[in-house]
This record gives sequence, structure tokens and C-alpha cells, in this order.
Amino acid sequence: MTAVGTDQRQQLAYVATQAADARLNVEIETEGMTLNIGPQHPATHGTLRLVARLDGEQVVEAEPIMGYLHRGYEKLADVRTYPQVTTLINRIDWLGSFANEVPFILAAEQLMEVEAPPRAAWIRTILFELSRLANISLFLGDMGMQLGAITPVFFAFRDREFVLNQIEAVTGGRFHPNFDRIGGLKDDLPKGWIDETRGVMVKMRNFCDELEDLLLGNEIFEARTRGVGVIPADVALSYGLSGANLRASGVDWDMRRDNPCGLVHDQLDWKVWTHPDGDSFARYWVRLQETREATHMIEQMLDGLPGGPVMAKVPVIIKVPAGEAYVATENPLGVMGYYVVSKGDLGPFRVKIRSASFNNISVTPWVMRGVYVPDVITILASLYFILGDIDR
Amino acid sequence: MGLVASGKAPKPLTKLLNLGRKYSIWMYQWGLACCAIEMGAVIGSPRYDVMRLGVIPFPASPRQADLVVISGTVTDKMVPSILRLYQQMPDPKYVISMGSCANCGGPYWDSYSVTKGVDQVIPVDVYVPGCPPRPEALLEGIVLLQERISNEDPAARWRGDPIVVD
Amino acid sequence: MTQLSSTDTDTSAEAEPQPDERREAWAARLADSLGNGYAEHHIIGGSDLWVRVARDSWTDAATAARDLLGCQFFDWLSAIDWLPSPFGRDMDAQEDNPEPKAADPMEQGHAGGETRFQMVMRLYSITEHMGLTIKADLPDGDLSIDTLIGVYPGADWHEREAWEMFGIHFNNHPDLRNIYLPGEFEGNPLRKDFPLLARRVKPWPGIVDVELFPGEEDS
Repeated sequence: MTAVGTDQRQQLAYVATQAADARLNVEIETEGMTLNIGPQHPATHGTLRLVARLDGEQVVEAEPIMGYLHRGYEKLADVRTYPQVTTLINRIDWLGSFANEVPFILAAEQLMEVEAPPRAAWIRTILFELSRLANISLFLGDMGMQLGAITPVFFAFRDREFVLNQIEAVTGGRFHPNFDRIGGLKDDLPKGWIDETRGVMVKMRNFCDELEDLLLGNEIFEARTRGVGVIPADVALSYGLSGANLRASGVDWDMRRDNPCGLVHDQLDWKVWTHPDGDSFARYWVRLQETREATHMIEQMLDGLPGGPVMAKVPVIIKVPAGEAYVATENPLGVMGYYVVSKGDLGPFRVKIRSASFNNISVTPWVMRGVYVPDVITILASLYFILGDIDR
Repeated sequence: MGLVASGKAPKPLTKLLNLGRKYSIWMYQWGLACCAIEMGAVIGSPRYDVMRLGVIPFPASPRQADLVVISGTVTDKMVPSILRLYQQMPDPKYVISMGSCANCGGPYWDSYSVTKGVDQVIPVDVYVPGCPPRPEALLEGIVLLQERISNEDPAARWRGDPIVVD
Repeated sequence: MTQLSSTDTDTSAEAEPQPDERREAWAARLADSLGNGYAEHHIIGGSDLWVRVARDSWTDAATAARDLLGCQFFDWLSAIDWLPSPFGRDMDAQEDNPEPKAADPMEQGHAGGETRFQMVMRLYSITEHMGLTIKADLPDGDLSIDTLIGVYPGADWHEREAWEMFGIHFNNHPDLRNIYLPGEFEGNPLRKDFPLLARRVKPWPGIVDVELFPGEEDS
């Protein structure tokens, strides 16, 4: 491959989408066709349904239809107590469950004016980053599968188990830990856990290296992803894209660094990865680097873990004083926030859940105008959504 | 097939047929929510590996499947699709309901949009409890289903008789 | 288990309301640009800013926030129903089907308000690392407001969601139809007077079985 500068590459990507747009206007009479993908389809990994109107091999208009997994979290949160709500919201983004609890608990703590002790904040951040590993490692493998490479997904399932083991050892749950409490954590780390986790971090870095060898140098992978689904930074922002999707469009913004609120990322030495292209390849690349960065972060946290209690003094029956608070954190899928309105009851009055995938996927009608049918799969896979996170 | 469907097949033959059916289940995966990932681990992870039980995942279409695993939250919007899927499957067909949501609504028992159990729509052979069940639990469910298959009268299944649980 | 109750973290200290100049400046600039459409604001120092605007200034407020304050990032949009639930909080119910209580007085949150329904939107500036929440009152007789699609295209789905969940109409929205629920669904689930039927049929067991921490006395 000839070396192409990043500016030039971005320009080429733009030209490609412009050309695709222009081709739609060519006066060739072809019979329109409607392609229905889903609601159960491996490519949508979940129950997203995509209705695409085609002209030949090109998509004129694509519209995601969701709601096949709408469970009504916001209504259910109205009739549950705070500890019960944490049980529920575990299941929003089921791959990185612990990360879902964190912003909600932080919002409740902000209203109660309680602060978790330092050790709890550090362990929270470790588990937060572990759930990032559990979540994104599956993406790294799955993206390969969507493009026809089966091996990466087996690697992902193999190495993800090690991370799940570590989460299970602390919290007792592989998937849904429900471990975060208002004022701290349920328990301390088990004995021997820190050393084991160091070993797992090495495994995860090897996994990243393996995938880099398998996919990133692969000519087919590059051809299928470079210049496909380009989202410029301004569009990404106005649609509210967040997380790696936004950073892959060259926006240097990470809640972990810029707005740490309660977590300890600001005390660590790490780097926010961005990529200027905004295409599917960039999104994959950024996530790969973030996974690696997360392993380094966890190692630093294991080294610097402070001692002390893991629970602040809070009443047994939790009543949150009246008020409103919005706390968002940088979850594996992007910015996730909870707008909690309390009236001093046992449960919240209203919880608005800002889930990352809902915004991330709302850009699809824009980005899918004029792409080819196989690119639909690439774009959906690279935007990376979890259905529970869209439908809530 | 006429022999089996009429119920006149001799006992040893029935046993043989059941043995064959038991270890060649084509499993269609209807992954809906969190449980789908645990089912994915059963299928895709070398640690659990469902194929050693004689279960073949990823059939091309429900028309080739013997077993469907409904794993995850069933919503009222999804129900018509599940019904259609079930009707497309050829007899004899089996259903495993995986996870609390598919069993009874689970943590969403009071939701306005969740169906309280997939058994309101289609008959279920094995319920796997858990939220989500561990992959081992799904394997156990499959083993239980295989036990059921090895002891059943194929003619009743072929006729599509309603399932009676003793 | 002694570590569960620590003595060295004292959280009862009263936090003095601290002045927040950056947020004050934001509120002042919005007030300048909106004029009469600006109602009031509420600031929690070092934490957050709430602004309430008139319904007619909804899109102007979004435009001003984007262009004057640099809030390029569209976070979310939704609504709040301030009506106290006529069913009470079901989980507190000790009897089977509690009679609907007499409605408590409605009490709006930060930045005040007069009406039952309030629109809420959240915007964020990725350069200033600061966000703000904008609210607007909706009169009961006319639950409609202008769409934000012209300012933030990402508002499209959020408005469809608010339309479905609260029954709020968005003027000039090109495609206002169901996003989550099947077409034949009746009612607006997130309104407080929408009952959860499963709870009416089978009551919540109550809060009697709260598990105490080890060594804790039942009060």
C-alpha cells in the first residue's frame, strides 16, 4: 500500500461519499426494492430491524426500527426504590453492566451529598474499566465476524471469559454484578485478586495484539472499512454521538479525562486516542487502542490502590433528599447519564436515562444514504450498539 | 415415516430413532437480550462448546431447526415474529425458554411492554432459570431436553399433539 | 465487616453554596439573547446549571446555546410530568389495591415552573466541559412545542420518544410516529396517571423485608 497522509485519506473518504451521493442521481431506471434486515438477524446482534430502500445495489434510504426490546425502564424506575433501580439498570448495556450502575449511583450520591471513600472510588474505577474490557473485546471480535472473518469472534469469547471471571470473583455475577451501593461498594476485593488481574491484563493485551495482526493488516478488512460510513465531526456532535464513535471523527473529548466526577481517571497516566478519518476503520482502531489503554489503566490502579473502608456511613433505608442531578460518565459505548429527579422518597420521582447507543444509532439514516448493501453491515457493526442500550 | 407417524413402529426402532434425534439437534438461536450473549458463549466459546452435546448451532433458517432457544426479554412487539418463527419450524419441534424474562417476565414483571413469559404464546419444553443463566445452565437445559426426547413417543410429536407434562 | 461502617468519612458537613462565575456568565448571556423569553435559572455551584425559558423561545434557546455558548454536543431531550402519581408509590402499599390518594400539590424542581408538563433538554460544550439543562413549560391545554431538528438533527428520535411517552406534539417535525411501542398501543406510558396494570393485579409485597446490615438494630 502506498503511504497516504491522514488529511489526504480523509479527503479521499469524503470524495467517495460524495461520489456515492452523486451516483444516486444518475438517470438509470431500476426497480426500487425494499430490503428488510431483522428484527432477528446476526448482523444486528440483537433485535434491531433495518428497512432499507434500495436502488440496485445502493441504499437510497435506510431506517432503523427499534422497540423490539423496549422494557420501559424509565417507567419502572418510578415505582422502585434506589437499590432496586440499580438491579434494573444493570441490564441496559448488558456487556458492560457495572458501568451502567456508576452514573446512577454517582447522581444519587450527589443528591445525598455523600462521597464514597477513596478505596471504593478506586475499586469502582477498576471495575468500570474491567467492564469496558468485557464490552469492547466482544466488539473487536464481532466486527471481524460481520466482515466474514470468523476467527476473531472465537478469540473474543475465549479471552473475554477471563475478564468475566475477575468480575465474578469480586461481585458474584458474571453479567449483572449489582455491586455498587450509594456511598461505596458492597464488599472489598477478594484475596489474591490483584495478582490474578495482572495476569488477565497481560492476556488481554495479547488478545489486542492478535487482533491487530489478524485484522488491521488485512487487505480485505481495510478495503471493507476504509472510507466506509464517514461521519464528520460536526455531524457527529449535532447527533450527539459519543465515545469511540466521536473520537474516531477526530474530536478529542473523553468524559473520563475532562469530567471525572467521582471516578479516579484523573489521577492516572493515560492517553485519549483519536483518529481523524471518521470511517469504520477509525472506529475500530480507536476501540482497539482504548482496550489496550484500559489494561494499562487497570494495572496502574492495582498498583496504587489505597487502603481504608469501602463504604461510607449511609442510612440502612435510603431516602434521597429532594432535588435534581445529572451525572454522565464515559461508558464503554459512549456517554451514559442519568437525570435523577428526587422528591425525598424511597425511590426516584423520575429517571431519564441517556444511553449512548440511542444517540449513536440515530445517525444511521444520515450515514447510510448512498452506501452499498454490504457496507450497511460494516457501518452498523462499527457504530457498535447494544440493543438494550437503544431501547431501554 | 408413515410407520412412525402412525404409531406402529416397534419399540427398538423407536429407541433407535430417538437416539438419533437426541444427538442431532439443530438449534436455532433467537437471541433477544443479555441471555443472547451467554448463549453466544455456549456456541462460540471454546470453554463451553455446545457441539459436544450433539447440538448443531446456526441453521440457515428456522425451517431446518428442531430446537429454538428463546433467550431474553420477549416484548409485545416481538411476539408476532416469535409466533411466525414457531409456525415455520417443522414438527417435531422443541422450545427452550432461557432466562427469567422469557420464563415469566423476570425483572420486568410489571412493565407495560414486556410479555410475561414466552409460554403465553408458544409451548415450552424446558425452562432455564437465571438472570442471565450461566452457560452451564443452558447446557444442563439441553441435556434435560435430550432426556425428554429419548423417552418420548415420536408419533405424538409428529401428530403435533398438545404436550402433557406428568 | 466492620469496614462497612466507617467513622472517618464525615459527610454531614454543610456545603456552602459557592459562587460559580462561569455558569453565571452563561446564564447572563442566554438571558441577554432571549430577552422576554427567559424565565429564570438555578445554579448549583461547581456542579450544574438549569435554565427555564418560555415555550416560544425553545428553539431560540437551543440556537443561542449552540452559537453563543458553544454547546455543540446535543445530549438528550425529554419531558417531565410533575403530577404526583395518583396511584401513590405502589411499592409502599401495604394493602392490596390502595385507593387513589388525593393529589399532593404539584411541585416543580430546579428553575421552577407552573405547568404539569415540562420539556427538558441537555446540551454540552466539549470545549468548556460544561453542560446546561434547559426547561420549558407546556400549558395543559396545548401540549405542543417547536421541533429542534433544525438546530440539532439528533433531536429527531428524542422527540419521537417524547411524543410517544408523553403525548407532546412537536410542530414541524417531519415524521412523528411510534418509535418503541407497537402501533396499536394506547396511552402515554410515562405520564404519571398511566397505571402499570401488573401492579394493580398483583400488589408489591411492601417494604417489610428490608435486610438489615449485620449488627444493626431494627428501629
